Amino acid sequence: MAIKSFQHDQHTYSISYEIVNPLAKHDLIVLHGWGSNKEIMKQAFEPYMQQFRHIYIDLPGFGGSINHAVLDTQEYSRILEVFFELIGAKKEIIMGHSFGGKVATLLQPNLLVLLSSAGIRLPKPLQVKMKIRLTKLANAAGLSKIGKMFRAKDARDLNTVMYDTFKKVVDEDFTSEFKNFYNKALVCWGEDDTATPLIAGKIIADLIQHNRFTVYQGDHYFFLNRAKSIAAEIEKEYLK
Amino acid sequence: MNLAILFGGASYEHEISIVSAITLKDKLSSLDLEFIFLDQDHTFYYIDAAKMDAKTFSSGSYKKSPVLILEQGGFSQKTFFASKHASFDRVLNLIHGADGEDATIASLLEFYHIDYIGPRKDASVMSFDKFMTKAYASACGVDTVSYELLSGQRKSTTPFPFIIKPTRLGSSIGVSIVKHEEELDYALDVAYEFDDRLLIEPFIEGVKEFNVAGCMTNEGLQLSIIEEPQKEEFLDFDKKYLDFSRSEQVNEADISDALKKSLYEAFEKIYTPVFEGALIRCDFFLVDDKVLLNEINPIPGSMANYLFEDFTSLIKNISLPKKKNIKINYTYLHSIRSAKGKA
Repeated sequence: MAIKSFQHDQHTYSISYEIVNPLAKHDLIVLHGWGSNKEIMKQAFEPYMQQFRHIYIDLPGFGGSINHAVLDTQEYSRILEVFFELIGAKKEIIMGHSFGGKVATLLQPNLLVLLSSAGIRLPKPLQVKMKIRLTKLANAAGLSKIGKMFRAKDARDLNTVMYDTFKKVVDEDFTSEFKNFYNKALVCWGEDDTATPLIAGKIIADLIQHNRFTVYQGDHYFFLNRAKSIAAEIEKEYLK
Repeated sequence: MNLAILFGGASYEHEISIVSAITLKDKLSSLDLEFIFLDQDHTFYYIDAAKMDAKTFSSGSYKKSPVLILEQGGFSQKTFFASKHASFDRVLNLIHGADGEDATIASLLEFYHIDYIGPRKDASVMSFDKFMTKAYASACGVDTVSYELLSGQRKSTTPFPFIIKPTRLGSSIGVSIVKHEEELDYALDVAYEFDDRLLIEPFIEGVKEFNVAGCMTNEGLQLSIIEEPQKEEFLDFDKKYLDFSRSEQVNEADISDALKKSLYEAFEKIYTPVFEGALIRCDFFLVDDKVLLNEINPIPGSMANYLFEDFTSLIKNISLPKKKNIKINYTYLHSIRSAKGKA
């Protein structure tokens, strides 16, 4: 592991990252999802794609990367642009899981690899709608503790900065960002995904002009067991 | 002899220390052993010998073991009505890295008047920081590899290839070999994650390495056989890990008597008298027929047992430095009182 500290927009960011195959010619940048970290991604993909220099990154506020600012996805991508410049990383292939998929899309790589990406707003299930209503009522009555009980699993145990960040990024609609992505993309999905349902994947595949859509067995973390075939797809696409 | 093995610690080498302790449990089976585990939050636990396996620690079930508290003269176990003393003659400090080798444990045990095998405070200071080791070796008349010290800088004047090391970490954590300019930035980010001071040394391809261990015993300084470790470019963390569970005796290096003599002499210069009370392993390089000290391991993996023929009696016979007890009898205060005519 390594740490790169730098200033950006009056904040100090320390990004924890790890490079595998340091002397390989092409760069593969890997971004994890919300609440996850680079180790999970590395565990899946490290054994494959030896022709690439893998760059695993903890996004600010996750794993070993420190964050003190309330961020939105745009700002995440700007911070990463600065970081790439500092470590001399080329935006050849960027792979992003879930929330990391949105960041990856904004970074405009030559080849975008989306693993169950976030960014499509779907109607909320009734149960969630009820929770939101109750929370708002409870907050109005000065009972904010009750509201906290209803927080999504992803939002619990977050510090204030990261909770505010969560609120900013959770409901972003990336329809136009996907539509305006003109490079090549691989859209990969787990068919039993409940966090970002398969229908969201189909919508993204319809929005991005040049993409290949592949459905795999598994849930939101389907890639942990499908890294080998995803890697083969990437190699086929990029090294041909 | 009743020996308490103290292991664990809030250190990057916490898990390695557990492996060392399990290895020594077998190796020292003829002694009466007790096991005291220091967890990452600095709580001491009394571990039943039957539970000394990896699972006890990885599963967290050690937390069901009795908690021990330091007291003058030993550790005790608080029960509802009274405190029960854990009985042993000596502690063997087997905490590798921070806590064990940085003088924290040494200070604690000395403060509580507990006899222990392990480096004293001053010995720890000399060996924990690689920069201090170089200064100490040079004062003892032992040469070391040339070096450059970086404290925050990102440029080096040493020609490639070189090796970057955090100054205050044992094992190989944070260490990289840099062969090309392009590898430098990442290697610096890796090393600076662990320490704000780095050592840069020229990387000597295929350098010959020799290890010697030893300690002061009741019969004088006892030295181990000389080992020439088999190695690739350098031992990475995984390989070192294996190194810590070694228990089979190794073959002596096939070297000239003259070289043997100079290695033993260099060891003695480093050891005496600062490291008395500890069983240490010194790793030397041979460059252009010159013996250079690479590093001092004041608590070597599984106590370098594999370098000694009769490890058990060695451990039994380690002599500890004499403690000086300061006697306070208030003579001065009394004299003031008499001068003032109040006695």
